[in-house]
Amino acid sequence: MLQTSKYHATKTDLANELVQVEDAKKNPAKFAVLYDKYYEQIFRFIYQRLDDKEQAFDATQQVFVKALENLHKYEFRGVPFASWLYRIASSEVNNLFRSQKAQRTVNIDSVSIYGIIEEIQESKIEEYHDKIVAIIAENLEEDELQLIEMRFFEKRSFKEMGEILEITENNAKVKTYRILDKLKKIIK
Amino acid sequence: MKRKVNINRPEISSEEIAQRKNFDSVLKNHANISGKPLFKKPWFLSSVIVATVAIVTSVVLLNQDTKHEVPDPIATNLQQEINSELEFYRKEEAKPCISPPLKDVNVPYTTFKVIAEKGANLDFKTGSKLVVPKNSFVDENGKLVKGEIELRYREFHDPIDFFVSGIPMTYDSAGVTYQFESAGMMEMLAYQDGKPLNMAPEKAINVELASNYKGTEYNLYKLDTVKNNWACLGKDKVVTTNETKGKAKPDTAKIVKIQQTPEYKILETKKVEIQKEKELKIAALPKVAPEPKKPELAKAGKYTFDISAEGYPELAVYKGLLFEVGDENKHFDKALYKITWDEATIKEGTKKGENYLLTLRKETKKYEFIVYPVYEGKNYETAMKDYQEKFSKYNVVLEKRKVDEKRIEEEYQAKLLAIKKAQEAQFEEWKRVMASQEKSMSKEEQVRRMFSISSFGVYNSDHPSHYPKGMKCSANLSTDKNVKLLCYEIYLADKNKNGLFTFNRNPIASFSFDPNSKNMLWTVENGVLYWLKPEQFTDIKSSDGVQKLVMNRVDQKFKSVDELKTYFNF
Repeated sequence: MLQTSKYHATKTDLANELVQVEDAKKNPAKFAVLYDKYYEQIFRFIYQRLDDKEQAFDATQQVFVKALENLHKYEFRGVPFASWLYRIASSEVNNLFRSQKAQRTVNIDSVSIYGIIEEIQESKIEEYHDKIVAIIAENLEEDELQLIEMRFFEKRSFKEMGEILEITENNAKVKTYRILDKLKKIIK
Repeated sequence: MKRKVNINRPEISSEEIAQRKNFDSVLKNHANISGKPLFKKPWFLSSVIVATVAIVTSVVLLNQDTKHEVPDPIATNLQQEINSELEFYRKEEAKPCISPPLKDVNVPYTTFKVIAEKGANLDFKTGSKLVVPKNSFVDENGKLVKGEIELRYREFHDPIDFFVSGIPMTYDSAGVTYQFESAGMMEMLAYQDGKPLNMAPEKAINVELASNYKGTEYNLYKLDTVKNNWACLGKDKVVTTNETKGKAKPDTAKIVKIQQTPEYKILETKKVEIQKEKELKIAALPKVAPEPKKPELAKAGKYTFDISAEGYPELAVYKGLLFEVGDENKHFDKALYKITWDEATIKEGTKKGENYLLTLRKETKKYEFIVYPVYEGKNYETAMKDYQEKFSKYNVVLEKRKVDEKRIEEEYQAKLLAIKKAQEAQFEEWKRVMASQEKSMSKEEQVRRMFSISSFGVYNSDHPSHYPKGMKCSANLSTDKNVKLLCYEIYLADKNKNGLFTFNRNPIASFSFDPNSKNMLWTVENGVLYWLKPEQFTDIKSSDGVQKLVMNRVDQKFKSVDELKTYFNF
């Protein structure tokens, strides 16, 4: 069962948020509202992909510095402001990997692995648990891992995944199930 | 590629994450980056490149018959809605400095007629005094004005006065916005033949502004309607006098006896209720049968009658009942004993349950005697044994009832005591409120804030303050139909502070109030008042998310500020 994400927003939420963004464009001090609102979400997104907590806190701070610096370029596209922040966060994390300042880490809780096993309709739970971990560590491409990570480890909806990755909801769904098929084949 | 995999890594709490928030650092970094010359900014070069590419691309594309990207209709509609909201805010922000929010309600001016060349000492209804020197007025050309002029004067003493006046109660100083707490505000204007006048140079009108506050933390400010801000003029002087002339009348409407307060009346009703409750409980206890009658042994030498005791069940419990003629029948003739009577009846005697009146009839003759129920011999012994058993059972039931009745009485007394204590507490609170009110009335009589003004306008005895603290959240104001209110200024009144705390724009990104005080929040949308009643504040919980505040629409039309104050009853 997917948890209700803080990310989802009603039309009114979106409108209110855009007013806050427009305010912050005029007066950077007003960006505090958005910083407070999204700090935890962005930190968790980054820390999910890193091993070092302090590095994750530094990167989170850097995301908001960059967001504020580039706020004048922000354009509303009918999705929550968070999706823009996630893309900056994703870029920030990739920069860390490219510059080899951090190692790509996947943080998994066992329950999530069982979720994947359930999804690929396999019954050999204990046997496949370790295999899936190994595949995640070595066999999946980065874009494939992103989808699995968002769907199963971060419990995001396909809609949210689509908005963060700038693809359609359906595309996010199709791609995720293709990866699950791939996983199934590798396991067997 | 080899990735590191952590299984079941301990989760970090939201509290720990929140502790690491540091927006000041973000802002500082931003300021450092923004402070660089344009060409040194990191985004400059890339923007130049992107812009160049965009221009080239546009030129190329404009010369081609290409299919343009269709904008997302939902995003477009939303953007339009947001643009209209932003347009509304822009219009609100462009309004004049003093903009009364309600069309028909404002603090009225009192007009004084003054002969300009004579000056005047004026007393205002609140106890304020104005000393106008002679030759204090000039016209728009700076020419000294003579003859009768109109001095228009009004005062503002509480949040509702501040609200209806539309006078801003925020103060910007060194980039920080403060909220004013006021000890009193006044506005003075002068006119001749409908034309506004100015004060003559080097003249000053002395003002003794009646106030409810004698603290010295207040400064004197004048409203600069061009800069839309207050100018600090220094300190005013506080004077406390015992003069009675012109003093404010005590608000007798607020003085009520403790017995008249709704809280007290509720407890009085409660007292009656618990009394009834006690009576009902006692009535519901199992009934105790009458105490069994102890059989009496017939005395030797006394006359007895064997008569049916039908109708007297207490006499019929033992066998062999006889009625013995009592000693009070001094004239009992033993011959009567030998007569066979036509009729013999008994009824209750002079001592209820103890003796009976025996009536014997024979033809026209009738005799009445006081008799006592007795038993003889074996009958007495049997009756006595029976009595002892019955009495023993009766005693058990009686004792149980006594215990039950005692318990009910104790419960009642405990409840009564609690009510009495609550009433005592109410009485103490009432005394405190009355004392405070008396003190406050006394202050109205005695405290004046003295200052001189050398130009007409709005003056305020204030001290800069901040929003009340205690509970903080974001707040989204909506109607009971779940429609977001489109309003610019949202007002908070806190019973413990004499200020009008103003928030801008709905939703309020950072709304705070003191949950230990009495609060009221209101706004105006299209001339219609909406308010959040004091009791609704208890429903507001501190939260990271946005709290939805359902505002009550006020359909009543107000004609005066007093009507509005009566309505809010704050």
